[in-house]
Amino acid sequence: MREAQRVATDQGQFVFMNPDDSQRFQPRRITLLIDRFMTHFIKVGGLAVIAAVMGIFVFIFWQVLPLFRGAEVSLVQELETGVPDALMLGVDQWTELPFVLDKEGQLHFIAIPSGERSVVPINLADDAQPSAFAHVPKTQQLAVGTDKGGFSLVDLNYAASFGDDEQRSIGQDVTVGKRYKGGLADVPVIALDYVDGESLKVAVLVQEADGKRVTHAVTLKQKRSLMGAGKVKVAGNQDISGELEGTPRFVRVGAGGQLIAVATDSGSICYLRRDGREFVKMQTFFPFADSATQEIASLDFLLGGNSLVVTNAAGVNRVFSLYMPAKDAERLFGQTKSFAPLPGAASAYAASQRNKSFLMASGETLSLRHGTTETVRWEAAQSYQAAHVALSSKHDRLLTLDQAGTLYLYKLHDPHPEAGMQAFFGKVWYEGASRPDYVWQSTGGSDEFEPKLSMIPLILGSIKGTVFAMLFAIPIALLAALYTSQFQHPRFRAVVKPTMETMASIPSVVLGFLAALWLGPLLENRVPAVLVFVITAPLASMLIGFLWTRMPPEVRVLCKPGYEFLIFIPVLIGCVCLAVWFGPILERAVFVVSDPETGAQVADFRRWWPDFWGGRYEQRNALIVGFVMGFAVIPIIFTIAEDSLSHVPRDISSAALALGASRWQTAFRIVLPTAAAGIFSAVIIGLGRAVGETMIVLMATGNTPIMDMSIFTGMRTLSANIAVELPEAPHSGTLYRALFLGAMLLFAMTFVLNTFAEILRQHLRNKYKTV
Amino acid sequence: MLQRQAAAGEPLVWLSSMGLATGIAMVIFLLGLILVNGISVFWPKRVVQLQVSEDGSERQLIGEIVKKQKQATSGDQEWQLYTANRDAFGHSFVYVPEAAIGEQSQPLDILKIERLEFGSVFGRALRIEQADAEPISLVGEADDPQLQEFVDEATALRAEVTEIEKSEIGRVNNRIERLKRKPANSAITAELASLTGEYEALAQKARKLRDLATQTHLIYEISDGRERSVAIGHIVSFYRPNAMGLSARCGRFLHNAKVFLLDAPREANTEGGVFPAIFGTVIMTIFMSLAVTPFGVITAIYLHEYARTGPLLTSVRIAVNNLAGVPSIVFGVFGLGFFVYFVGGGIDRLFFADTLPTPTFGTGGILWASLTLSLLTVPVVIVAAEEALSAVPRGTREAALACGASKWQTIQRVILPASLPGILTGMILAMARGAGEVAPLMLVGVVKLAPSLAINSSYPFVHLDQKFMHLGFHIYDLGFQSPDSEAALPMVFATTLLLIVVVVVLNLAGILVRDRLRRKYAGSTF
Repeated sequence: MREAQRVATDQGQFVFMNPDDSQRFQPRRITLLIDRFMTHFIKVGGLAVIAAVMGIFVFIFWQVLPLFRGAEVSLVQELETGVPDALMLGVDQWTELPFVLDKEGQLHFIAIPSGERSVVPINLADDAQPSAFAHVPKTQQLAVGTDKGGFSLVDLNYAASFGDDEQRSIGQDVTVGKRYKGGLADVPVIALDYVDGESLKVAVLVQEADGKRVTHAVTLKQKRSLMGAGKVKVAGNQDISGELEGTPRFVRVGAGGQLIAVATDSGSICYLRRDGREFVKMQTFFPFADSATQEIASLDFLLGGNSLVVTNAAGVNRVFSLYMPAKDAERLFGQTKSFAPLPGAASAYAASQRNKSFLMASGETLSLRHGTTETVRWEAAQSYQAAHVALSSKHDRLLTLDQAGTLYLYKLHDPHPEAGMQAFFGKVWYEGASRPDYVWQSTGGSDEFEPKLSMIPLILGSIKGTVFAMLFAIPIALLAALYTSQFQHPRFRAVVKPTMETMASIPSVVLGFLAALWLGPLLENRVPAVLVFVITAPLASMLIGFLWTRMPPEVRVLCKPGYEFLIFIPVLIGCVCLAVWFGPILERAVFVVSDPETGAQVADFRRWWPDFWGGRYEQRNALIVGFVMGFAVIPIIFTIAEDSLSHVPRDISSAALALGASRWQTAFRIVLPTAAAGIFSAVIIGLGRAVGETMIVLMATGNTPIMDMSIFTGMRTLSANIAVELPEAPHSGTLYRALFLGAMLLFAMTFVLNTFAEILRQHLRNKYKTV
Repeated sequence: MLQRQAAAGEPLVWLSSMGLATGIAMVIFLLGLILVNGISVFWPKRVVQLQVSEDGSERQLIGEIVKKQKQATSGDQEWQLYTANRDAFGHSFVYVPEAAIGEQSQPLDILKIERLEFGSVFGRALRIEQADAEPISLVGEADDPQLQEFVDEATALRAEVTEIEKSEIGRVNNRIERLKRKPANSAITAELASLTGEYEALAQKARKLRDLATQTHLIYEISDGRERSVAIGHIVSFYRPNAMGLSARCGRFLHNAKVFLLDAPREANTEGGVFPAIFGTVIMTIFMSLAVTPFGVITAIYLHEYARTGPLLTSVRIAVNNLAGVPSIVFGVFGLGFFVYFVGGGIDRLFFADTLPTPTFGTGGILWASLTLSLLTVPVVIVAAEEALSAVPRGTREAALACGASKWQTIQRVILPASLPGILTGMILAMARGAGEVAPLMLVGVVKLAPSLAINSSYPFVHLDQKFMHLGFHIYDLGFQSPDSEAALPMVFATTLLLIVVVVVLNLAGILVRDRLRRKYAGSTF
């Protein structure tokens, strides 16, 4: 007989083992290995949920981050052009062949990166000599004023060609057009500006005659037909000197030739607008009337030609835009933006061809600013004074040229100039608007469109939808939960809970479709009936309850406690019938407006509401959304609230009942406060669901991003906005990232709400443990 | 003994009962509304012929009565009539004031013809015109079998054309595509030439067959007396709505339901069936549950078997609840940014560089949609699986351990099998959630019309990169993006009914299994 031996295991337990059987009780190595591996594997798997949540947030945040970065500029190359005191700097669309214009009127093309130079003289027609120049980056043209008056257009004709080795090379083919007569004949042009607005082309020429400056607006017209572009002819030569107050210093043509702005020595800017065939003076204003230095140091248009960027000699930098100060008033210039001051007068200016950015040089400072968001995207002091600056048309390079003739090429990385805190969350004064506002309008018709990316109307829309949904959902869900858990006969609970959970599972696309195509048209002209129902249903239930309790016991026996809700289904139907019957009567009695055309009295709530409240009445409105989204939220609130109410220990409520409290008193004073945290978290979770609900709002509202809380207008929520715009948004563009920002806001909102609710629930769970 | 005096707060109890009654009434009403509207789509309606006299002129209208309603501005009663014949009238619906309607009848000889194009026809059949034979005149119901013969023949031809176009030409095309991507040499050029010849021959054959089906025409008369014709090859089916008895109408109802479930959509999705959408939904949901179940179960095992109470467990629970609470559209945004552009774009650059810039995986597809939805439904599985795990009695667990099983062996051999029904419940609930979700899918690969199914007969049979159709998106698209939403409404209701049935059945199954489990284990104490 073998002797058993007492062996202590590492857990401190004692087992009896046979010395020879030690092998038998030893687990196989592989079992232990698998066990250990699975332990780690499952731990990692479990923690992967945290990783997933964090990962989603971090990924979205990472996508959003570039929106809040400024521009990055780095010097790539310095090139000697050999042209000191140049008159102009321009660049092709590939940034491979910039040109510099010297004092003699010769174009120097400098190849990048080789630095090879080629010189092309400008030979004007009629033996005229160039006397003034203007650069038109959009069409890659120069407008050249001549000493004989009039002007010529010089086309640079940049073109890419591919050699045998498929290497791209950029060439130019400078062609000088005919001389257009304009202004005074045989008087040298000393300054000019030119805009090509396709069918309308306008040049403004400044000449000096008898010691006085004379300004002419020269209009060119080009007939266009199916056969192509026709001949360009001078269509007008208007002397606008009389309209100007003071000696012109800068002349600028903007908005496709529709307007002219002239800065004068006196510090005023005259604004002339094309009216029929003539330019008419609209306004004279002093942009720096309130500052110490009145003298205008620069005047330029932003992309699109509707906003003027002005600086004065002290470096104050402002933007003036055209807008209507009041309804039906003339569109006039007014100050809309004020930028951080430059160190001194601006010496060079270039407007981006892509967006509303502009680059300015002042002394040794270079500053890239954005005209919409009123921000300085990048600013840095250089070791030289830039005399000319240029921005590439792709907004990815910037070039500067100093007095000595050194060309500096910088790489510019500014993919999202329209973004920033101010653009997303602040009021922005957009071009053409009469005041700063929160606007979401991401796409527009033209290249010169300013994306308006304010998140505020979307956040407000989300809040609006949520508020109306919760107004509807909270009372019904909580009352139902209270009744189910406290009063209802237990035999119904097995049916009621699955029914409500089924309600939760109804896809929101179904609810959205019903809201938009069934409920919306149904309720459109039945708002008074809805009003009647909302008031009568609770009143009727209270009244019935009151009367019932006054009934003799013989009657009350008919409805056992816990069965009351069955009576209510016919009562509800009765309320609906009452509403349908009484609604139109109420409408005829109260909601009456007089028709402005016929003067007749019309009973129509849809017309009464705008008259009464001022807001519009839309078929797809917040009432519908609140109703249907409430429907989606009710089961969520109900389930959680019911759980927490029925988890309140029976002892507590039994004790209350035993002490003589009525069942309502027990439920309301004892059970409800005990489960308050759980109910609160139910409401919060419902709130989180309503905030992020997409399909219902997408389908049941008009998706117009508006800023009002009226119940009879639609809205656009953050979530619907993503669903509408993200499929069309180009990858990694500003809109794409802005929509990710919307998603991040949604995530953050619901994260806060859900975490709060979960902490509350855990707290509640611990509390019950001690009860 | 009942009290004489009512208990305090009794009216408020009644108020709270109203809350429940409202909730239940809404669910029942909503389901009823969808049920009635969804089912009535398939029921063949009677067609009425109306004499309408308006502004002194008389006209005849033939159509189905859609609804009778009060006119919005004048308040007069009016009828909405579905007149079909969109190609002849330019519209398919007409509103008629009730006052203008004179004589009404339901003539037996009216034919409803469903066509491949331009919707249906209400009219009287006159004759069949053939290219090289005498026209056959059709008089009454007795001639229907004759017409049916022609239609059957044309349908068979059409099926043959579809077969050629879809599978045979598709296969040849596939091979041509693959050859074109390879570096050119003489063998490949020769093969390409032979394949192109094959393609041409097949296309020729398809054209010939198609011509054959469209040579014969049915001439019919519409309500205003005009004669119109339709190629026999374009007729899907025809019947006499007013001549049908109850059994014939039931048969038609079943036929319509079958067409809806098994056919591909026609006419910008407003006619035909939703088979590709059903298929897409099912495949996507299956892929999703394949991805979500292991992940969810592992997390549940961690939460229930391995984690110790502490901040880590708390934060895992918070994470789970957040995954459940984050709006679905955010998952869509993440799916688009991460799966589609980041992962898919990466795969394209690594493995499909030769087809770039046309994306293969770098665009929405069924794989990315499934993965996105699996993230969304993980909490559902976790919660259900954890509940199932905790339902396994402690004694069972301890017995296994006492027998010397390791922790993993206990889980693997004892706990998991015991909680399998609960895990299944989680999977079913997740599938229900996934089947009903639309918003994230709109960003990661759902389309209104997918050219082919994600699983089909062409190599490699399972196409994870393919875009797909989805029932939920079908509802959205039909109701809101289609040019004639009035005409699409019946289809929307039918699709809605189908989706609701799928989701509710899945859910009820899940909930019932869960409740049964709860009851089973509620009483078991060791």
